[in-house]
Order: sequence, then C-alpha cells, then structure tokens
Amino acid sequence: MSGVVIHVPRGSGGAGGAGPHGDPVTLRLGPGESARFGRGSARSPVELRLDDPAVSRLAGEIRVTDDHWQLTNHSTTHSYLVENPEGAGEYLRVPPRRAGAPIPFEFSRVVLPTRGDATVSFQVFAPDHVYLDPEAMGVPWGNATVTAYSLNETATYFLVLVALCEPRLRDQSRVAVPTTPQIVDRLGGHPACAGLTARAVSSHIDYLADEKLRLGAPDSHEPGRADRRNGKREEIVGLALRFGLVREEHLALLPPQTQAGGRERQAAR
Amino acid sequence: MSAPHGPGDTTERDRTDPLPPGSRVGNWEVTRLIGSGGWSTVYAARPARGHPGRPDVALKVMPTAGLAPRQARRIVESARREVELGRRAGHPRLISLLESFVLAEPGHPALRGAIVLVMERAAGSLRELIDAGLPETDRGRLIAGICEGLAHLHRSGWVHADLKPENVLLGADGTVRLSDFGLATELTGTHGYAPPLGTLDYFPPERWRAPLGELGVRVRPTADIWALGVVIHEVFTSGCSPFPGATPMARGAAVQEYGAGRAPLRMDHAVPPFWRELAADCLAPTHEARAPHTAESLLARITAHRRGPGAGTGRPGGRARAAVLATALCGIAGAALYADVPAPPGRAGPAPDTVRVYNAERACREDGGRDPGCSLGLAVDPALPYTADNVVVTRVWHGDLLTADCRTPDGQPVVDEEDRRSTHWFRVRLPPGSRPSTAWLPAVRTRDRPTLPECP
Repeated sequence: MSGVVIHVPRGSGGAGGAGPHGDPVTLRLGPGESARFGRGSARSPVELRLDDPAVSRLAGEIRVTDDHWQLTNHSTTHSYLVENPEGAGEYLRVPPRRAGAPIPFEFSRVVLPTRGDATVSFQVFAPDHVYLDPEAMGVPWGNATVTAYSLNETATYFLVLVALCEPRLRDQSRVAVPTTPQIVDRLGGHPACAGLTARAVSSHIDYLADEKLRLGAPDSHEPGRADRRNGKREEIVGLALRFGLVREEHLALLPPQTQAGGRERQAAR
Repeated sequence: MSAPHGPGDTTERDRTDPLPPGSRVGNWEVTRLIGSGGWSTVYAARPARGHPGRPDVALKVMPTAGLAPRQARRIVESARREVELGRRAGHPRLISLLESFVLAEPGHPALRGAIVLVMERAAGSLRELIDAGLPETDRGRLIAGICEGLAHLHRSGWVHADLKPENVLLGADGTVRLSDFGLATELTGTHGYAPPLGTLDYFPPERWRAPLGELGVRVRPTADIWALGVVIHEVFTSGCSPFPGATPMARGAAVQEYGAGRAPLRMDHAVPPFWRELAADCLAPTHEARAPHTAESLLARITAHRRGPGAGTGRPGGRARAAVLATALCGIAGAALYADVPAPPGRAGPAPDTVRVYNAERACREDGGRDPGCSLGLAVDPALPYTADNVVVTRVWHGDLLTADCRTPDGQPVVDEEDRRSTHWFRVRLPPGSRPSTAWLPAVRTRDRPTLPECP
C-alpha cells in the first residue's frame, strides 16, 4: 500500500493544464496526505491547477485515507462527478460543500462542470485496495496471513495479466509472452474489452508493473539490468505465475479460444 | 472467483472440511481440531494404536489434492521452509518439528498427497492468552522468551517473517515456542527473500512499498523486530496495535504515515516506561534506525531490567513497591499536559517518562548518523530567548531518547521547520556528570506527549 496516484492529462483544464504549458502532471500522495485542486491563485494555492474559468480558485481537495481517498467539494454551486471508467457507467455525485466523501473506486475520473461542452477532468488511481485470498475465504481475516499484492480479478488489468500469462499457463511455450497487439486481439471478444486499444494495454501493463506488483527497481550495479524495461512483461508473467497471482482457473475469464485470435496463434505454431 | 471448469468447488469444500476426531493420519489419531488457516489445518493428535510411547502432538495438515500444480507448489514450498528450519535451527524457544510425511493412502480421499508436519503440541497461543487477559507477572517473561527465540533465529541466519501473537505458542510449562515458519527465510548476506505474504498488522513501513522481485519480497531481521514492537504493545494493552485504525488497512496507512514522518508514534500509556522505550526502539521508522536494536541487544536490556532493582514484573516484592510508589504519587498527578485527555486510572503520572527527539527536517530523520548539521539544542532556561548562550553543550539528534521529569506550558514559543508552534517545554536529564544536570527540550522537538507534572 502506498497511497494514490493522481494524473492530470495534457490540457485537461480547457486551454491550459496542470503543468506550466498544459503538460500532463502526475502526483503521488501517501496515506494522510492531501492535494488541493482548482484554478489556483496567489492567495489560494493549489497542488493541481485546472485552468478553466468555470473552475473555482479552490475547487476541491483529495485526501488519502486508509486504502482509499476522500473528495471534498469546495464549490458552493457545482456537484462533481466521480466516474469509474471500468464500472459500465458507475459513478458518484459529490454535492457542493460535501466534505470528505469516500471514493470506493480503484480507478476514478473526477469530472468538473464547465460553461462549455467540454468538461475538466483528471484521474485518480487507488492501487492499494486489499482483496482477501481465495484460500482464506471463510476464515477470520483480521489476523490472517494474506497475499500482500492483491489484484482485482474483475479489473481490465487482470484480464490483460491473464492474457499475458495464458501461453505459459497452457504450457504452449516456456518463453513467449504475447505482444501488445496479440493481447488486443485475444481480449477483443470480451464484453469488457470492446474498444481496448494497444495504448490502453500498455498502460495496464505499466500499472501492473509499477503500482500493483512494484517490480524491483533496476539495480545499477548489476550488469545487464539497464535493459530491464524491455523484459517488463516477461518479468510480470514470471512473478504472477511464480507467486500464484494468476492460476489455471483464471483462464476461464478469457474469451473462448476458438475465436479468430486464438486460431491464428495456434495456426502459427 | 468464477471458474466454471476449474479445479471444482466440491473439491474445494472437501479440502477444507475438518477431519473428525478419531481419523487416522499416518501413525497418529486426530483428537480435535485446533485451528485452520488458508492452506493448512492443525489438529491435536495422539499416537494411534500400535504406536504407543510417544507424546501427544499437533498435526499440521496441508492438503494438495484438487489444487493446480502451481498452487500445490506454494504449499510444498511453505512446508519445505518449515522442515528445513526445524532440521537446522532447533531451539527450546522454537516449536520442534518431530517428523514430516506425505499421505499416500489416506482414509480420506481429499487428503491424498497432503503434506503432514508432526509438531510438538503447545498448550495455547499468546493470542489466546492476550484475549483471556494476560497476568501482569507473565508479560516480561513472555516477551523475553519471544526475544530469545528471535535472537536464536537471527543468529542462525533466519528471518521469521510472520511474527504475531497467533504464532507465539506456549509449551506445557508456559514457556514460549515460536511457530509457523512457513514464510521463514534463510538470509543470504544481509537479507533473504520471502513469498509476498504476511499479516498486514505486523508489516514494517518499508514493507508497504517493497517491490516484488524474482525471488519474492526482500526481508531482513529488522522486519521481525518491528513485529516484536507491535507484539510488545499488544501484550500490555490487551491486544491493541500501537497504530490507530479500525481495520488492518487503516492501521497499515497509519504505519506508513508514521514511517514517512508525518505522524508521531503514540503508544498507549498502559505500556510501562521500560517496555514503551523498548517497543519504541523496535518500532523505529526505518530499517536503518531499527538495525542497532537486534533481538540480542533487546534481550540483554530485558534481562538487565528484570534483574535490576525495582523491576516490577515477575517479582512480588518489586510489584508491591511499585504499588506503594503509585499510591504515593497519585496526589500530584493532577496536572496532565492536555487537560482534556483523562489519564487512565491508576497510572503513576509524574514518574519520569521518555521523550524521543523528533527532527522536522526530513533529511535529518533519514540520515541516521550524527551529522552536526542535524543536531538539535537544549535550552538552559525555557523562559529566556533561545539564543547561543542559553543552550547547553549537550546536543541531541533525531531518534534520541531522553528522560523527561517535568514540563512547563509557558516557555518561549518555538516554531519548528514544519511551522508547528508551541510554548511547551520538557525538562530532560543530561548524561551523568553534565552541568547543569538538566536542560529543556522544546515540545515541538518531540512527537511524544508524556503526562508529566508541571515543573516547580
């Protein structure tokens, strides 16, 4: 558990953005830390600048608490929406002046209204949610020994992980790990993955490596570690299988293999 | 988990169904269920007919039937660690492993291939004792026992990696037996690697951000020392963690806030000063700060304390003295530092207490060394401006423990680097031979808020 990650995309605030030139900004907050967002001014400084005239100087505040975060709406007139991009339209409305509304989503998009059609939004990731071990279900869990790296098995990143592990799980190959286009292809038939892009798959892989499994940082005095990033997906697969994070039973989460993608791959063997 | 054609739900259920009393496992007969965890079930057992003359034992049964090969491997790995440790690092403070075997032809089909560890039978666990109410006289002795076990493990080059009251068992004679070495790891150099498993409430701050590597998570003996600090606190507070929060996740967040220097360590005042100081050292926020406090050195301090004059625990005479002292001091305990926090009843308020120096400069907290630039001063007189000629020669550093005997609420205001402002000061004792013998620490230089009388 290490807090939340806030990502303000490029040019999120109308013409401007959080960075000096509308550059994307990523901010990491640990438990107990908070960040204010809004248009900002000398008198009301904010950590996340959203440069839109409709956004208040101090529009709101994010505070990390336990394994989730809370949203305070400093606006007296506007509600903010917190959408779960993986929740099939699931969202929360945080009314004006609401203090510390707990946000239960691992992935959130905070949407602020503007005068025009375009909205201002930014993303908040809360990778620290804890899931109980399947083996330990029904056992009092407060003092139980649990897996310290837990994954949401209904999340898209988990599907990507299972797809990455599939060839090894099916013993098709000891070495080959699917490429990004192969994963897009493999998950194409899954209802949750319609419109999954190669870029999204890469983001999910980065999220798994950096936030969920926290792959060991490159060791500078170990030769050959510099190109570790190239082996990132191999490393993810190795760890997920070695420590039982992905198991044979998870293959059932993938679309049936008789689809085009699977056939092609089998034909290629 | 939806696994329509996975290993199957029925096998899953059979796997966790406990064996009825009278079931035969190898040369043993199950008498009752002791407990079950994620991958194993522990039974009390006695020698089966035809195998007399052996003591009653505990059987740890780890079924592997119906599991995918990779899941089974995890169980085999855990059993391997226990057997290896039992074979190479036996000690009176560790539960002893008598034998281990794999069930080839069990009476119960779900147990085919199950791994069975036959272990010395314990009378109970420290958790049960804490829940039932741990007699005051036993507390110091039990903590010393845990320390002995850890000191032996660490000396032998192992890290337990899952120390908690559930895994501290008590032999028939009431002495400590550390158990459950399923995550125990042999050190290679300064650290070892454990599977990414553990108990959230006993994770040190660094563990929450620990990367997962090829071999698992890096663990060092200081992780056991941290867990020991939590256990010591629990022993004196009927099982309360030193970190606030209603759930393990909330307490884990509090651990990280403390580790990052954003929150002080607030231990329950029910923990006596000696043990509070010891637990505070175990709970030093970083591996580096914890490293000097080895199980060996903690054990030496406990031994000295228990032998020392006026040592309360475990000695009726000493306890009587402590009680008299508490009664005598009750009259002047009124002036608590924060009047709105009622002092727990029966606490000897004005007894000297320890305060740990806190440096608001992050770099100085992480430094760990004694960089002159990170030293903090102590005032001769808190009522006078805090200038060069109002500072004693003795310097203090972040993490130092000072003995404070009283406080003043209205000294010169001091503002620290984090903009915390206070007019409170603590009078602290200087090393023997210092002149003057006491000096004043601004309250902003510590996160502790001991209950102390106002200085005369």
